[in-house]
Amino acid sequence: MEPILSVQNLNKYYGDQVGCKNMNMKLYPGEVVGVVGESGSGKTTFINSISGNLNPDRGKILINKDNEIINFLEISESLKRLLIRTELAFVHQNPRDGLRLDVSAGGNISERLMSIGQRNYGNIRQTIFKWLDKVEIDKSRVDDFPRTFSGGMLQRLQIAKNLVTSPKIIFMDEPTGGLDVSVQAKILDLLRKLVRELHLSVVIVSHDLAVIRLLADKIIVMKNGEAVESGLCDQVLDDPQHSYTQLLVSSVLQV
Amino acid sequence: MNNVLKFKNKKANVVAQDEIYNFAYLDENTKRMIRRALIKALCIPGYQVPFSSREMPMPYGWGTGGVQVTSSCLTTDDVLKVIDQGADDTTNAVSIRNFFKKTANIETTETTGDASIIQTRHRIPENQLNEKQILVYQVPIPEPLAFLEPRYQETKKMHALSEYGIMHVKLYEDITKNGHIETAYAYPVKTNDRYIMDPSPIPKFDNPKMNNNPAIQLFGAGREQRIYAIPPYTEVTSLDFEDYPFDPSKAPHKCSICGSNDSFLDEIITDDDGNRSFICSDTNYCNQRMKDK
Repeated sequence: MEPILSVQNLNKYYGDQVGCKNMNMKLYPGEVVGVVGESGSGKTTFINSISGNLNPDRGKILINKDNEIINFLEISESLKRLLIRTELAFVHQNPRDGLRLDVSAGGNISERLMSIGQRNYGNIRQTIFKWLDKVEIDKSRVDDFPRTFSGGMLQRLQIAKNLVTSPKIIFMDEPTGGLDVSVQAKILDLLRKLVRELHLSVVIVSHDLAVIRLLADKIIVMKNGEAVESGLCDQVLDDPQHSYTQLLVSSVLQV
Repeated sequence: MNNVLKFKNKKANVVAQDEIYNFAYLDENTKRMIRRALIKALCIPGYQVPFSSREMPMPYGWGTGGVQVTSSCLTTDDVLKVIDQGADDTTNAVSIRNFFKKTANIETTETTGDASIIQTRHRIPENQLNEKQILVYQVPIPEPLAFLEPRYQETKKMHALSEYGIMHVKLYEDITKNGHIETAYAYPVKTNDRYIMDPSPIPKFDNPKMNNNPAIQLFGAGREQRIYAIPPYTEVTSLDFEDYPFDPSKAPHKCSICGSNDSFLDEIITDDDGNRSFICSDTNYCNQRMKDK
């Protein structure tokens, strides 16, 4: 099987500062890769660089689109933005960054549909209801503004907005950050269900090992902009080899 | 200056143009700059061309963009008509007409058919225009995406890459809130199947008239410093949904002066008891129908 996304030797510097360097990653269809590390370790720089939000300085990003390999860093701006709209999705930590707050919940979900050319109001409406149902938001809230939603609902709305065009690769930057534990659990549950049901390929960034353990198949541990350890999630977390990973695993609170 | 000389030779015995001004107020270099923008705009229908808008002797919002475009298009042979909301006799229309009478000493008219240049605020004349005419629109906000995406850089990118999904989000919200597309003026259009364009705040009733119009249509936004255009016989379509098609709509009344059933109507409140009547917004069209009777 071919990886759907393959990152080779990716480097991103901020002047002299290392953002991330020599990063490699292979994401296979239906797989979830977790990226962990402390604040400032380059997790967010990495996910922004591979999702088109940042321009990396060196390296290759290859996306497999229907058996055609696309060199993501060398295609035209228009094709890149088309890919970002259709094949890729980005779930922000703060849902307010990924939503239009002055547009109704339904309008938010419909934007991607209309940007790929859907022009039938009735059909669009049907798809919106289907997705509200999937992310467990009550249908009666379809015409309400996001600002009237709770934090957890906002995050679920952002997920629906991103998944509505069935993108192949989903990037998530701390999707449960800033939510209380019970709401976190609900979102994680939902994400796990969607990943299975829709056979999504996901790159998820988190500092929370519990989140990664629950969702990810593989894991990359980052420190000072570099990957210090990677491999199968359970293997790395149960038998950490690198001292930093050991520290990370041992510092999880045992309740 | 050439224009001035030609003009003087031709009509030397008529009332002289005010000597303080260059022909049609603007200096020749400015007019050349604007003409270049106009030609570029005509080559790329619906694309907003930046231009270096000048201070005009009237406030922004009074048609400074339209006046600069008109000034750059005027020749001594032109006959000018100016309308404001369809009327020839409102303050804005009268003032701009007098402005060009004074600075260019050209002939003016109220008859749509006799005019070679028509400057308009918020209407397209009811009578069909012809290939020898230029329609100049006054535009307050040229960017159709402005209210949806406040970053100008980003809207430029969206135009360049035809990322217009968000425009339909606005229409979606309209239908969701009101059961139909509520936008009644400045209704967004797609020009030549490429650029989405703000037709200036004309009623959507006028949108179909832009499509395949034989006249040249020029749009000038003075404060925002943009010029755009629709060349003759260009396809202009109003955005809509398959199941909510564009509807030009019209008040279900007749003009109470001329009885016209198919012109755009103004609603006039006639007394304190709430009585109202409807009359044609295009005064010239209405007057002519009365004369013909």
